[in-house]
Amino acid sequence: MDAFIQQLNNSMADLVDRTRRSLVQITNGQGGSGAGTIWHPDGLIITNAHVIAGHGDLLVTLYDGNRYPAQVLAEDPTHDLAALSIVAADLPTIEPGDSQQLHAGQWVMALGHPFGVLNAATGGVVIGMGQQLGDIQFRNGADWLAVNLKLRPGHSGGPLVDAQGRLIGVNTIMNGPEVGVAIPVHVVKAFLKTHLGTPQKQAV
Amino acid sequence: MSDALQSLSDALAAAVENASVGIVRVEGRRRLPGTGIVWSSEGVIVTAHHIVERNENIQIGLPGEVIAPARLIGRDPNTDLAVLKVEASTTPPVWAGGSDGNELKVGHLVLALGRPGTQVQATLGVVSKISEPEEDRKRKRVRVEGHGPGRHGGHGPGGRRWMWYAEAEMFGSIGPVIQTDVVMYPGFSGGPLVDASGAVRGLNTSALAQGSSVTIPAAHVRSVVDALLAHGKVKRGYLGIGAQPVRLPSALAEELDQEIGLMIVSVETGSPAEKSGLLLGDIVVSLGEYAVQAIDELLLLLSGELVGAETTVRVVRGGQLIDVTVTVGERE
Repeated sequence: MDAFIQQLNNSMADLVDRTRRSLVQITNGQGGSGAGTIWHPDGLIITNAHVIAGHGDLLVTLYDGNRYPAQVLAEDPTHDLAALSIVAADLPTIEPGDSQQLHAGQWVMALGHPFGVLNAATGGVVIGMGQQLGDIQFRNGADWLAVNLKLRPGHSGGPLVDAQGRLIGVNTIMNGPEVGVAIPVHVVKAFLKTHLGTPQKQAV
Repeated sequence: MSDALQSLSDALAAAVENASVGIVRVEGRRRLPGTGIVWSSEGVIVTAHHIVERNENIQIGLPGEVIAPARLIGRDPNTDLAVLKVEASTTPPVWAGGSDGNELKVGHLVLALGRPGTQVQATLGVVSKISEPEEDRKRKRVRVEGHGPGRHGGHGPGGRRWMWYAEAEMFGSIGPVIQTDVVMYPGFSGGPLVDASGAVRGLNTSALAQGSSVTIPAAHVRSVVDALLAHGKVKRGYLGIGAQPVRLPSALAEELDQEIGLMIVSVETGSPAEKSGLLLGDIVVSLGEYAVQAIDELLLLLSGELVGAETTVRVVRGGQLIDVTVTVGERE
């Protein structure tokens, strides 16, 4: 039994180690800060719209400490999503999982900077998913993901990953003191498709 | 390296899936629906009393989005349990869980499940506390032992039936509870606490303890459900007195090793108390062999099994300890 708990700890530490490199910190030049998730190696970063609200000079800090000024590519307050761009290449990304095939009870981990504690990890389980979660009815018609995690200021925009370290959502808000709410990755994909279009295949 | 975590994740999701066939939505109030557990193949459903606000027009949301009307069989506000029966020909699936024989221990992973919507939802936590018989002996007000005969006269109900009594200190007359750090999402009341295999270990309710949720252990749920199915209510003992705690004179307190007693401030006409000769001003210090220092303790001791039985009530009258034999009645 000891060995199993040890294996679990190793699994989690390993998972966090891998995925944390795709977590960024976003400061909005006005004292506010949040998290972001690297979506594409060429500098596309996703976060919550509320993280960049009233954006002054946005600054993105990568896991290695390097800082980049960021430009807003798209913003959708209704879905609380935003896409940023930094001039960088070969950034580490997290393989997206299938957020429409999640099961209540399965393990998830959230990465972020809760209360300014940089690159922190927290774990819990999926409570449920849908347009209506118990007593909250989301009005934007999109799916939401409820997790048994305490998301805190600074978690917003950071990655939510499954037990294999696949990206399944973006940490977003709390519903009450105990229930974390994330935007599932399929909603993020739809947002990117709507606002940035399908990437053109380049002829070589 | 990720295998252990993936195994845990898969096992938790499987536990939820195993249990989910026996979890239903209970629509019995204006606000958010609550959850119920399918208890038998005859369509018996157990849920939390406080979410069934009306006695009629109760709907059950079965897995697969089928909705069936249900009839109220009975309630027990003390344990916040209610029993319903699905009337439709659609018999809900039998609850396949039950104890796998492993004793639930502090530190075990457990899941709370609910179906306030169409899907089963789950939260995870750890067992924090379970009522244990050993604890009773640590509290003098609960079990008096090691004294010679005559100290607390009469032979009350003894043995393991009182193993959970220590919890009464916190939870009034509820009886046994399991405490966990599992978060109960709105609408989870009436749903099960399941172990890592998906077996039901109890029923969760947010209405019994202020600010936190507790779990009524499955064995206790079963005894309440059996009583409700048989009688439509849970039998409870009745004396017919009103009482309030008072401090005992120091000499008596020392002699009894008990500081508080219950002074009788009213005796109902025709009640078992009146027939036995209990008087206004008597201070009750024990019932059977158990010391009594709070109304809740007395209520808990007056279980249904005592109804019709002769029990000794020890009182202080005129500074003397007197044993009065009472035939316990049934609370209406």
